[in-house]
Amino acid sequence: MSTPSIPKSNRMPVGAVQCDNTTLNLLKANDFVAKAIRDRLPEVLVINVCSSPGSGKTTLMQETARRLSDKLNMAVLVGDPETDRDAVRMKEVGINALQIVTGGMCHIEAQMILQALDHIDLTGVDLLFIENVGNLVCPAAFDLGEDIRVTVLAATEGDDKPKKYPRMFLTSELMVVSKADLLPYVPFLVEAVTQDAREVNPTIEVMTISSLKGEGMDEWCDWLLAKVAEKKAKLATA
Amino acid sequence: MHEISIVRNVFETLQETYPDKFERITKVQIEAGLLSNIQPILIQNAFEALIVEEPALAEIELEVILLPIIAHCDACDRDFEVKRHKFVCGCGTPSKNIVQGEELQISRIEFLENQL
Repeated sequence: MSTPSIPKSNRMPVGAVQCDNTTLNLLKANDFVAKAIRDRLPEVLVINVCSSPGSGKTTLMQETARRLSDKLNMAVLVGDPETDRDAVRMKEVGINALQIVTGGMCHIEAQMILQALDHIDLTGVDLLFIENVGNLVCPAAFDLGEDIRVTVLAATEGDDKPKKYPRMFLTSELMVVSKADLLPYVPFLVEAVTQDAREVNPTIEVMTISSLKGEGMDEWCDWLLAKVAEKKAKLATA
Repeated sequence: MHEISIVRNVFETLQETYPDKFERITKVQIEAGLLSNIQPILIQNAFEALIVEEPALAEIELEVILLPIIAHCDACDRDFEVKRHKFVCGCGTPSKNIVQGEELQISRIEFLENQL
């Protein structure tokens, strides 16, 4: 192998050059698998839950399952770079959960979900949460075959996040401000974060909750029940 | 983000699409919308790292073009550039009707003509 000493762009090509203008999508493979997931789960509402690490996604899953246990059947696929700690936490409170260990990867790709579907029993499940790897950047680019994307933002993270991570908030239908019980103690204004998020995504819904104290949990659960009903109604008319 | 896997993906896609002409590729142009979170310099670094593994790719030039975010305003019926991630038209109407900015694609390939 010869090491080029001049920039490649300065080298003259040998012989005539032929050009091909094209549009080869580099996320094509992921989008193809995402569609396969949608086709496979026509009766299940799939929600992709994204956030930074430590925003309270797993605690929200636990509290949601507890409150909705007699109203619907829920399951969770949870992604982390390493360990099965989150799945263990959820199974401890009786949630049908499966850990996806991404092996260091910063996001879940559709292929991982498709493979995981073979290892979780979704018989009778109405609502499947995908708890994504804690990261507001990379997961935004990967369609996991979800119906809805929700971003959780903890009050402790600061109210200036939506513009810093625009694609995540742009592709989310709902922003959940979590750890609302800490709002009196941190410089975080729900109005400010709502304005920032709506400048990125004018149609984003905003909800303020505390999984531990219960604030906003009724609204969140009602929203979920309505979305599950909406999906079932769509299937019935299809 | 994950630039190494993107660069790998570029060459896998090219190998699949142009099995007969792949060896003659001299230049590849990638278009990345600002919303794709792609950093051109990191793509170049990832490409250099890939060349160490696959020396045959050393002769190929890789160019990354960043595309600004363009949205469509229904009120004015015109496109506007989204600056500083503010998805609001000059007329004050918010819009997330994105016309450009989410792309991550190979846009142009140059090959050497077949030499007889």
